[in-house]
Parts: sequence; C-alpha cells; structure tokens
Amino acid sequence: MSDIISQDSHSFFKQEVVRAENLRKTFLLSRKQQRLEKTNAKRKIAVDGLSFSAFGGEIYGLLGPNGAGKTTTLRMLSTLIRPEGGDAFILGHSICKDPAKVRDCIGFMTGELRLEGFFTPDYLFDFFGAMHGIDKNALHERKEMLFRKFGIDRFREVKVSELSTGMAQKVSLVVSIVHDPEVIIFDEPTNGLDVLTAKVVTDFLAELKAMGKSVLLSTHIFSLVEKLCDRVGIIIDGKMTAEGTLEELCGGASLEDTFFRIYRGIKGDTL
Amino acid sequence: MKLLALIKKEFRRFFHDPRLLLTVVLPGLFIFALYSVIGSAISGNATYEYNVYVVGQSQVVSAIEATVKESGSTVRWLNGSEEEARKAIEERQADACLVFSDQFDTAASGAQVELIYDLSNEKSSAFSSVASPVLHAYGMRFSFVATSVTDEQNFGREVIANMIPVLVVAFVFSACMSVTLESVAGEKERGTLGTILATSVKRSQIALGKVIPLSCIAALGAASSFLGVMLSMPKLMGMNLATVAGSYGFVSYLFIFLLILSFVPLIVSAVTAVSTYSRTVKEASGYTSVIMILVMVVSLVTSFISAGDWFVAVPVLNSVLAIEAILRGNIMVWQTLVSVAANIVYTALLVLLIARMFSSERIMFRK
Ligand SMILES: Nc1ncnc2c1ncn2[C@@H]1O[C@H](COP(=O)(O)OP(=O)(O)O)[C@@H](O)[C@H]1O
Ligand SMILES: [Mg+2]
Repeated sequence: MSDIISQDSHSFFKQEVVRAENLRKTFLLSRKQQRLEKTNAKRKIAVDGLSFSAFGGEIYGLLGPNGAGKTTTLRMLSTLIRPEGGDAFILGHSICKDPAKVRDCIGFMTGELRLEGFFTPDYLFDFFGAMHGIDKNALHERKEMLFRKFGIDRFREVKVSELSTGMAQKVSLVVSIVHDPEVIIFDEPTNGLDVLTAKVVTDFLAELKAMGKSVLLSTHIFSLVEKLCDRVGIIIDGKMTAEGTLEELCGGASLEDTFFRIYRGIKGDTL
Repeated sequence: MKLLALIKKEFRRFFHDPRLLLTVVLPGLFIFALYSVIGSAISGNATYEYNVYVVGQSQVVSAIEATVKESGSTVRWLNGSEEEARKAIEERQADACLVFSDQFDTAASGAQVELIYDLSNEKSSAFSSVASPVLHAYGMRFSFVATSVTDEQNFGREVIANMIPVLVVAFVFSACMSVTLESVAGEKERGTLGTILATSVKRSQIALGKVIPLSCIAALGAASSFLGVMLSMPKLMGMNLATVAGSYGFVSYLFIFLLILSFVPLIVSAVTAVSTYSRTVKEASGYTSVIMILVMVVSLVTSFISAGDWFVAVPVLNSVLAIEAILRGNIMVWQTLVSVAANIVYTALLVLLIARMFSSERIMFRK
C-alpha cells in the first residue's frame, strides 16, 4: 500500500525528458523505391503528426510493426535528420533550433552508426570523449569506471574488429555514453543479435535505468517491451495510436493481444 | 581541441596501418624500379651502330671500339673536318666526334682529346658514357674534354620544365586518391562517419579534420614518388640532375614549394568533396577517376595553349603553368602569388561545401 503511494507521488514529480510535438517526416521516393513499395506516390509519409512524452528515470518503448516510422522518429530525435513539421524537446532543447545541445545530452545507438574496427576500445573512448568536449581527467575516471563495470578492461587494447560480437557490442554501448548523457535513444536494441549479445544489451539498458538515466527505445518485439519498458507508445503508419504504462494499456491482457486489438481497429482484419 | 583530436585520429589510422601506408609510399618505389629498368634497357641491350667522326689519329679508337662491342653494339668511324662533324651531330646524322691533337699517341706532353656529342640525343649520350671512361683510363697522358652541342643547362631545364609539373599533378593525385577514398567514402560507407556526425562537434571541424591530415599524407606520398623519379633520373636520362637542380635560385624553390603546398589541399578537398557526396567507395572512385582525367588533361595541354593572364584563375592550370615557367628560369612573381591565393580560396570554398554536405541529411543519411 505504502509502496503504491510513494510510486505515485514520485511519478507526479517526474520530469518530462523527451517531448515530441506533432513530428512529421516524408521521404521522396525514387523510381526503384516506388516499384518496391508498389505505389505511384512521389512521397512516402513516414511519420505523421507524432506526439508523445517520456519521463525521467524510465524506459519508454516505441512499439510498432516494420515500416511504422520508429527509426525515422528516433533519427529525428537524435538530430540526424530534420522533421518537416512539428518539433521535439530533449531536456528542453529543441531538436530543430538547438541540435548541438541535443547531441550533447543524448546517446544514440543504432545499427546504422558504427565504430571504426581498426581502433581499440581505449582509443575510441578517448576520441569520442574529445568529440563531446569532455575534460581529460573526468574522461579517464569515467573510462575506468565503465570499462570495469562492463568487463572491457582486459580488451581495452584489442582492435574492435578482433573482439567477439558481444564484446564489440559492449564497446559500442559504452562509447555511446562516454559523455554521460541523461537520455539514451536506442533503435531496435536486440535486432539481429544472437541471444548472448542480446542479453548484454538488455542488461545494459536495465543498468542505465538503475543509474537513473532515461531510455527511449524502439522495437517490434513484445517480450522486450514487457521485460524492460515502464511506458509504451504503439505506433502504426507514423501515428501514435495508444500510449501509457503497460498496466494502463493492457489492463491485464497480454501486450500481444492488446497490440493486435488496436491494430485491427485501425487496419481492419487484413493482417 | 576537437579539431586536433580529429586530425590525430586520421594520422593514427594511417600510420598504424601498414597496408594504407604502403598504398601511399609504394608508387614512389614502383616508379624508381620501373624507371631504373627502362633506363638500363635503353642504354643496355639493343644493338646499334654508332656513327662517329674521328679528326686526327690515335690508338685509343680501337680500345673504344672494343668496349662498344662488349655492350653488343658497333661503331662506324667517319672521316671529316670538325665543322662537318658538329653539323652532322646537330642534325643527328652522326652520334659523336673525337678530335685528337697532332701526334696524339707520341707527344710527350700537351696532348688533347675532345669528345663532341649531343646531350639531348639518347644514342649520342650513350656513346659518350661508353667512350668517356675509356678515355679517362688513358687520362694520365693527355687532357680530355667532353662537350655537348646543346647547352647542358638549357637542355636540362627544358626537360625538367616539360616533365616535372605533369609528374607533380599525377603524383599528388595518385597519393591522395587511395587515402581519401578510404578515409572519407570508406568511413561513410561503413557508417563510422555517422557516429562522429551524431556528436556535437562542428561540421566545419569535421571537414577540416579530414582535409588537413589527408593533405599532409598526400604531400608525403607525392614526395615519395618524386624522390623515386629524381633518384632514377640519372639512369633514365643519362643526365645528372644535380647540376641542373643547383642552377635554380632560392626564390624559384620557394615559389614552387608554395605552389605545391597550396595545390595539394585543393586536390585533396576536391576528392574529399566527391567522396562525401558518393554513397560507396566504388561510386567515389568512379567520380574521382573522371576528375583525375580532367586534371591530367589540363596539366598536359599547357604546351599547346598560349596562356594569357586569365590562367591564374583556373585551378590546376595556374599551378602547372607557374611551375613550368619557374623551371624554365622565368619567375613570374604576381602570377605565382595570385595562383597560390586562388588555390587557397578554392580550397576554402570546397571545405565549406564539404561542411554543408556533412549537415545535409539527403547526402549523409539517405538509404
Ligand atoms: N530514406 C528513406 N527514403 C524513402 N523512404 C524511407 C526512408 N526512410 C524510411 N522510409 C520509409 O518510411 C517508412 C518508415 O520507415 P522506418 O522509420 O524505417 O520504419 P520502422 O523503423 O518503424 O520499421 C517506411 O515505409 C520506409 O520505407
Ligand atoms: Mg526501424
């Protein structure tokens, strides 16, 4: 009983760390893409007026099928691409007006961004620390702490290309939080990973949450959301269709059933 | 600070990777090996009949003939006056002429022999290099001079002026090509450039962080190729470059240095720009070969065009023409300085363009 009250009062004071307002993004389709998508439309609407909020210290999951616009949304939030409409704020910084500030307070992880395999974890950590303008002493301390915590210590002088997949993944994760970002954005955290590496990643995310960080992730895997996320937003065809805590959304049913109920409500019975 | 880290990263990538290092230094070694082989092939194997005038008489002639025969060639001795001989050599009807003083073999002192040849004629030079040592071996008893019908210094300068600028362009280009393609298009293709773009570092710094170190590496590669040519030159041309090289003053070298110094970053930033634009290394190397052909054509046409003052505004052409003029011995002060300034301006514009491309999602993050 007292537990519930303290949780509630806690969430009452929760800080909004990510706020997306009416985000919109379309892509010009090339001939080849038009043929692949079986359409004559010149533009594809990838994200269509998307709004949501994620709170401090929580893991927020964007759940949706392939092509729903999850990756596009996260690329906009991490300032790799610009929205055509709307805006989003990370710790109050606008992704449109202040992208450099946003970059300094987020860590973005995605399969699309990689580390040069030629360099060692030790060097890459220092290099990206310098890219974020981190003071040398602070950087050194943080490196020792993170390397020890994630077991990279012994491999610090081994080229990333020569590391096991799991260890290389750990290095990517650690390097992306070199600047101690408050918000971590992660596109499809476990996609394409073997079970051991996937566990490395999910443990890492839980660890970040324990450190008091906020995580925003995208996925199409129900179990991942159930295991990790505090709140979830269901995104279909670039639109936010339902949002809330798992409790609020499912009300006892499984997430999978809930998802398909919502999906049918929008798309009809054609799966 | 961030710029420094970016520059250091490129150097580290380069100097710690033997494969990359080799792609830059190898052309120099290759040129040296190739030119040395060509050089000895020209002067060595082919049989040839030398036409040589003899004015006066000496036994030495048969010693020379024997030496020539050892190398597989023969000599046809011709009679005539020194004037006839000079004329024939200049017209390339004959290869050389030996002028002996009276009583050459028997005179107790004051005997003289002169070898007249043509430095600009390959065969003539070859005969001179066979005959001279033989005469030197007899040198205790008489004085020996070898004179060329063409002025050595002018000839050397002409050769150098025709050859060096084209080589500079070719070497700079080939040296910058492999590293720049690998470092820019390669990083883009592998997704490692994106990781840097996701940080707060300024796009202009990322652009400079590529162009500055890559220019240094390209300059190094070009220097290595250059050294290769210089070292193999004596073997290839049968001429000693040191005497010609020593005939240019400090200002000439300074100006050439400035021109090359401003030319390297220009080429590097051009290749960086197309590498940034391209999706893959393959696409980038396609575009780059087109630029290379254009640049080589421009550097080769210089001998066919009569350039007015407008040339200082044309990249590549301005540097090639200015270097050529300096090597011919006429230093053109304002043209050189304006060319250097133009190179710097073009480079700056390209760096801005590269920075713009780094902030363009259409170019950096299209699928
Ligand atoms: N660069 C692009 N060019 C054209 N279409 C794109 C591009 N990026 C994404 N899309 C399209 O936008 C839609 C949303 O894509 P995405 O955000 O990757 O979805 P998700 O990550 O949810 O699978 C898809 O239909 C996809 O084909
Ligand atoms: Mg995706």
